[in-house]
Amino acid sequence: MASQSQSPPTPTVADENLANQGSEVVQPTNVDQQNAREEPAKQSSTTSVFVNSQPMREEQVQNAVKFLSHPKVRGSPVIYRRSFLERKGLTKEEIDEAFRRVPDSSPTVQTSGVNQDGQLKSSPNIQQQSQQQTLQPSLPAAGVNTYTGTLSRSRFHWSHALIAVGLLAASGAGTAIIFKNSILPRLKSWVRKVVLDNDDEQLKKTDNKPTLMEEAAQAAKSAAAAAADVAKTSQEMLASKAEERKYFVEVVGLLDKQVQEMKLMTNAIRRLEGQEELRISQTSSKQLIVNDKADYDTRSVRSSSPPVSVEPSSGLHPKSYMEIMAMVQRGERTSNNRPWEVGQVQNTSTQMLQSQVHGEDLNTKAQSIPQLNGDDPLPWWQRKNVRIREIDNENEYNGVPYAASSSQQPVQQPVQRAWVPPQPPPIVMAEAAEAIRRPKPVIQKDQVSENQSVSHSSDGSDDMHSVPKLLESEGAVEGISVNSVPSSGEIQEEHEIKYDEK
Amino acid sequence: MPVFKTPFNGYSVKFSPFYENRLAVGTAQNFGILGNGRLHVLELSPEPSLPIAEVAAFDTADGVYDVAWSESHESIVVAAVADGSVKLYDLALPPSQNPIRSFHEHSREVHSADYNPVRRDSFLSSSWDDSVKLWTLDRPTSLRTFREHAYCVYSAVWNPRHADVFASASGDCTLRVWDVREPSSTIILPAHDFEILACDWNKYDDCLISTASVDKSVKVWDIRSFRVPLCVLNGHSYAVRKLKFSPHVRNLIVSCSYDMTVCVWDFMLEDALLSRYDHHTEFAVGVDFSVLVEGLLASTGWDELVYVWQHGTDPRAP
Repeated sequence: MASQSQSPPTPTVADENLANQGSEVVQPTNVDQQNAREEPAKQSSTTSVFVNSQPMREEQVQNAVKFLSHPKVRGSPVIYRRSFLERKGLTKEEIDEAFRRVPDSSPTVQTSGVNQDGQLKSSPNIQQQSQQQTLQPSLPAAGVNTYTGTLSRSRFHWSHALIAVGLLAASGAGTAIIFKNSILPRLKSWVRKVVLDNDDEQLKKTDNKPTLMEEAAQAAKSAAAAAADVAKTSQEMLASKAEERKYFVEVVGLLDKQVQEMKLMTNAIRRLEGQEELRISQTSSKQLIVNDKADYDTRSVRSSSPPVSVEPSSGLHPKSYMEIMAMVQRGERTSNNRPWEVGQVQNTSTQMLQSQVHGEDLNTKAQSIPQLNGDDPLPWWQRKNVRIREIDNENEYNGVPYAASSSQQPVQQPVQRAWVPPQPPPIVMAEAAEAIRRPKPVIQKDQVSENQSVSHSSDGSDDMHSVPKLLESEGAVEGISVNSVPSSGEIQEEHEIKYDEK
Repeated sequence: MPVFKTPFNGYSVKFSPFYENRLAVGTAQNFGILGNGRLHVLELSPEPSLPIAEVAAFDTADGVYDVAWSESHESIVVAAVADGSVKLYDLALPPSQNPIRSFHEHSREVHSADYNPVRRDSFLSSSWDDSVKLWTLDRPTSLRTFREHAYCVYSAVWNPRHADVFASASGDCTLRVWDVREPSSTIILPAHDFEILACDWNKYDDCLISTASVDKSVKVWDIRSFRVPLCVLNGHSYAVRKLKFSPHVRNLIVSCSYDMTVCVWDFMLEDALLSRYDHHTEFAVGVDFSVLVEGLLASTGWDELVYVWQHGTDPRAP
């Protein structure tokens, strides 16, 4: 061990260590570690300085032997074992000694590292290397962190055995429990089958069926519940539809009534027209009053289509809605002395009738609305009317400037009586929409044209939809307008768009 | 103080033993992971205001991890290249004839090269293939291969006084002292619990070795009693990459670390850290004391800069 390092004499420096060298040669097996460490610490030859001149520590060697004897370590590459021992602070000599003591371990790496030229070393090294040349299957030995001796090995065995026994017991208990939980019911069912064989097809079924039946029953119940829900919803739907139909029927009836009244009104109008000149003076005062009232309700009155009651009631206080409308209309007519307007009024009346004929449904419905208002003062009905009136007012505003230009707007006014709910919103929305889309003077024309188209469209299309939508919600009024506009307005807009784009 | 900007990331810097104003720098592209390398030979100008001039530059196919000046020829430089080859360059020859030698025996990257200062005829190369090889300038193949380490050998340093003794620091956490005449290592020193990245001999006490490790510490050992380190120098906040004993002052150690600082220590003092230079903005991986000029330090790092300054002064001062 120590000799190998000191065999080649080299010119060195210190003197004091020569004696130590000699002692070192003697000391490789010296168990007295302290002396061995301290004295040879100061050494003479340069080689000795750089050589581990400390004697082998037997304790370390024994620990190394234990380590190397461990079965796990046996399977690891030699290089790992060596490096592990080196990291633990063993000197080369100690490592070699340990390897030597554990016969079947082989540090072959040393041999591979031997140089090409250079000096082969003293025999002990070679002997050691030659002895330890058997390779073993490699397993990483890095996991071994402790020196384990034979005793510990047996302990490991015992502990391993104990652990194994415990695991087996636990697994056995676990499997037993599982068996009990899972197999017992099966056995029971099986037993039942066997015992009740003769009568037991049914019983078996019942035994099995309870589970199946229960499941089926549950499924059926859920299905039934679902079906019941579906039925309920369908019934509700039907009921609502029936109600709606009832409403429709009612509205139709009311509209019919209004149609009749309108007819009467036309007759009365004709008569009145004949009598207008006579009554001008008489109705002047009434006009003022009516105008005042008209100011209060002009637009609404104008927009609304009051089926002028045939009763030319002189009473300034309107007993009924219709009476007011009639009076207002009279006032209008009286105010409108201009020939064309008169003629327009006449035309509008006829056109109104025609339009009404075309769209009786809406008329009746629209008229039914105010009637219902009078009949059933439901809040939302009233609100709707109010809004409609407001919208009509707006329409009146819009319509007034165009009164001169368009001939149909006055027509719309009486027409709007019946059509008040549906029409104004669409027109308004259309205007707003157009204003947003095309900030051009074309808007006016668009509005005029759209108003006309809308009126026609509203007459002919979506009659059923518009009214119920009105009935549904107030906010839907605007929605209706939007919906109704697209039907016609979009077409026009598309055309207009194309026109504009081109 | 002059600064030199290298195109690639710096890896090593060494002062020439012949010219006090000459130094060699080994660089590698892309932090040495992949790409080319370059060996620079720089010349300091007499006036510190002037920048460092480049005397020569040699391109290599792979990164240059370390450089070593020949002690026998003033113009020969040894380069440890990442492709496993050791190349010799002669500055006196035109670039077309360089490298004059290329030794390709290592199977993995050559991490360090060191020239024998005593015999001046041989040099060592340590590699990631766990081996250290001994070469001479004239032989085409290695003289010896020392294969005992279980992991990469990061550094192999000759003893400044004893011609045949050298130490090797490895990633297997051991420091080994070898004698070239011996077939195997003579001392195995489990210096740290983590990889040892560098080692160096004391120039004045031939039995003192210092080791730098990933555990951020520098330990100084006496080979004669290597169970316990002589002292442990803590101060770096990351792994210490390189260290060097001062050739002029017995107790001075300079170390560079991944914490981007270069620290100078006096290990005999209670408060060992003398000065800390944080001029680098990346890993500081190379540092060297000049043998000819007392107190002259050079350092390089992955920030592609080479600083040369006098110990005690600010390396970034103009």
